[in-house]
Amino acid sequence: MSTVSGATPLTQISPGRKRKDRIMRGSLMAGTGIALVPLILVIYYLIYKGVSSWSASGFFTTDPTGSFFGNPGGIRSAIFGTLEIVALASLISIPIGIAVALYLTEYGKDGRFANLVRYFVDVMTGVPSVVFGLFIYITLVISHAGGAGFAGWKGSLALSLLMLPIVIRSAEVVLLLVPSSLREAALALGAPRWRIVWRVVLPTARSGLVTGSLLAVARGMGETAPLLFTVSLATAFTGNINGLMNSLPLQIYTDITNPRDVIVARAWGAALTLVALVLILNVTARLISRRSSMT
Amino acid sequence: MIPPETTSKEPKEMSAAEEQSQEREAAPDLSAMGERRQGHGVKVRGLHAYYGSVHAVKGVDIDFPANEVTAIIGPSGCGKSTMVRCINRMHEEIPGARSEGHVTLDELDVYGAGVDVTAVRRMIGMVFQKPNPFPTMSIFDNVAAGLRLTGTKSDNLRERVHRALRAVGLWGEVKNRLNSPGIGLSGGQQQRLCIARAVAVEPEVILMDEPASALDPIATLKVEELIDELKNRYTIVIVTHNMQQAARVAKSTVFMLDGELVEHAETTKLFTNPSDERTERYVTGKFG
Amino acid sequence: MQETRHQFREDLKELENQVLGGLDLVIGQLDRALESVSYQDVELAAMVVADDDRIDGRYLEVHQGILSLLARQSPVATDLRIVAALLHCIRCIERMGDQCVNIAKLVPLSGHDAPKDKDTLDAIERMGQLARSEVSQAKDALRTRNVDLAQDLVRQDAEINRLNRAIFKRAVEIGDDLELREWGMFMILVARCLERVGDNAVEIAEQVVFVVTGLFREMADIGTSAEAAQSS
Repeated sequence: MSTVSGATPLTQISPGRKRKDRIMRGSLMAGTGIALVPLILVIYYLIYKGVSSWSASGFFTTDPTGSFFGNPGGIRSAIFGTLEIVALASLISIPIGIAVALYLTEYGKDGRFANLVRYFVDVMTGVPSVVFGLFIYITLVISHAGGAGFAGWKGSLALSLLMLPIVIRSAEVVLLLVPSSLREAALALGAPRWRIVWRVVLPTARSGLVTGSLLAVARGMGETAPLLFTVSLATAFTGNINGLMNSLPLQIYTDITNPRDVIVARAWGAALTLVALVLILNVTARLISRRSSMT
Repeated sequence: MIPPETTSKEPKEMSAAEEQSQEREAAPDLSAMGERRQGHGVKVRGLHAYYGSVHAVKGVDIDFPANEVTAIIGPSGCGKSTMVRCINRMHEEIPGARSEGHVTLDELDVYGAGVDVTAVRRMIGMVFQKPNPFPTMSIFDNVAAGLRLTGTKSDNLRERVHRALRAVGLWGEVKNRLNSPGIGLSGGQQQRLCIARAVAVEPEVILMDEPASALDPIATLKVEELIDELKNRYTIVIVTHNMQQAARVAKSTVFMLDGELVEHAETTKLFTNPSDERTERYVTGKFG
Repeated sequence: MQETRHQFREDLKELENQVLGGLDLVIGQLDRALESVSYQDVELAAMVVADDDRIDGRYLEVHQGILSLLARQSPVATDLRIVAALLHCIRCIERMGDQCVNIAKLVPLSGHDAPKDKDTLDAIERMGQLARSEVSQAKDALRTRNVDLAQDLVRQDAEINRLNRAIFKRAVEIGDDLELREWGMFMILVARCLERVGDNAVEIAEQVVFVVTGLFREMADIGTSAEAAQSS
């Protein structure tokens, strides 16, 4: 059956094949380079243009003055406005999002209604953020619901509509990763379902849920369009969420077209700030997920 | 009696008394669970189980005597796991699955109208093939999980956890690290931890679905020794595809094929002189 | 399609063949031992004694094979009963071989030119035929797993027992000649060896019944009760 003397020697790779390997590698690396170049340019440009503003006095501690001449002011109210609006949006979208995800994984599973919900969530992720803003505008802003026309909380609502499908999607993925053997073990002990969710599923999925939520928050922070139609722009530092508020995206939006150079520079600084905030959130999410992996 | 927890590092050499007590702690000690309770048997009558339209268990009648170990053997897909999961009503948790028939624990029909499923599962515990301690919980919390998850108010929780660990022979190995994560233990220890978790709830019956198939031979033997001890206090039903294991631990053995009960006999008889031709062919490996 | 556990089945069959071959060896030894008694052939008797080594060797082979099979294959049910039976049978074979040796050893002792008694010799010859037939039938019963054949052995064994007692009685009444009496007592010993061969064959038959039915019953009891029924 087999030859006694010496098996066929392992042949060398043919030169033709070597060439093909090299061409393939080269083109893939070129593609990667092309993709990376604009990314690097954006970051570089941001830093280059924005860092000078950061060092300007009062950049983080004063509000924009809104005046056409004179001291332009800093972006304090914008930062706090963004934080307030996004915080409220998170408060709304994260618990509801996780609840919906729990329904989908624990109760609905593969049922018809659950699949319908999933379909709608998928559709929502594709909706342009402008539409959410317009929706809230038409339903709440025009009617001056709650007293004022434009208001911070309406902006939060629009943002939460945007964040909700993201939270649901990522939470569902994480919850599905919880091994069914754990649910089985808890069931077999005689635990009622809600306790299983509360004491086994959620704690096991905790880090993944936090990561997903942080990413949704990071996304919400940077959205301009929803805020445009719901919060509009104010320059004052305010805690009243039922009124006009400032926010970083809108501040950038108005500043960047300003003829004054120093205000344009402020816009870059604000953009850099926004990117920095998002970066901090992303890094935190990464660190949390790395700390507690679910093996 | 809970021994004082040692906090200081012990010197390497041990006195004879300490060695002896270590040995005692390593052996399963069911007396830790208190006085012997009267056992409860399970009777299965006319059990049918379905996955959608697939008829997986076709009319099975079995008696599981109290305080005895009964093994269920059979080829893959014969319905043995399904049948056992019907006993503690875990089968119906699978979407599309249903079952009919009667399973009585003493006089109580587990499928009776108005019976609380979670109460049933507290009386009939289950240990699975792959050890599944809760990863976010410590060893202590894992054993206590059964009590906490079922909302059992327990003012002597600590004592019950210690007793359960002693009962499964894990106490000696973990007494100094009760707060370390449960998943940090070896496979065999994890499985014994899961058994301790089931035992802490103080069920009447313990169902085991291939409890040792994921373990190495030494861990397997420890689990088998534990089963031998556990039967003094609980009624045990063990599903296994390992015939030698069934032969070692079980007093009587059930052979199932294609969802039907083929033979139920004393283990020695089933393995030396089975009555049914199909049993003979299966245990001698004549059909693959 | 190849049967599962192919190697195991082959090994088990091989062991069984070795045991059956052992029974053939016993038959050969028995024939020659009886011939040496009839013709007072001392050389033939010496050959029988020497050849017992083959039976002892066969015993060791089968014993080792059984241990190996038990360790490696964990036989159960019918297979387990066969293995247990083979172990029992090979011991019977070894004992039967020893009985043949005992017969052969009596030949030089009983004297070359000793006077012989025809009745006793006839009885011994008849016993020898019966013993041979019993061993042969036991072999067939084992090979074919035939319970009826096995149970029939008891009938033949009853006859051997009867002849054994007859020879004893004859030796007691054989007369006053000292040499004749001495010879007669040697013949008693030969008869006893043959009777033991018969008993061992019956044991093999019992094992055949055990393999087939899973039940173990001492057939000797059936034999004596049948005899009692006969003689009453």
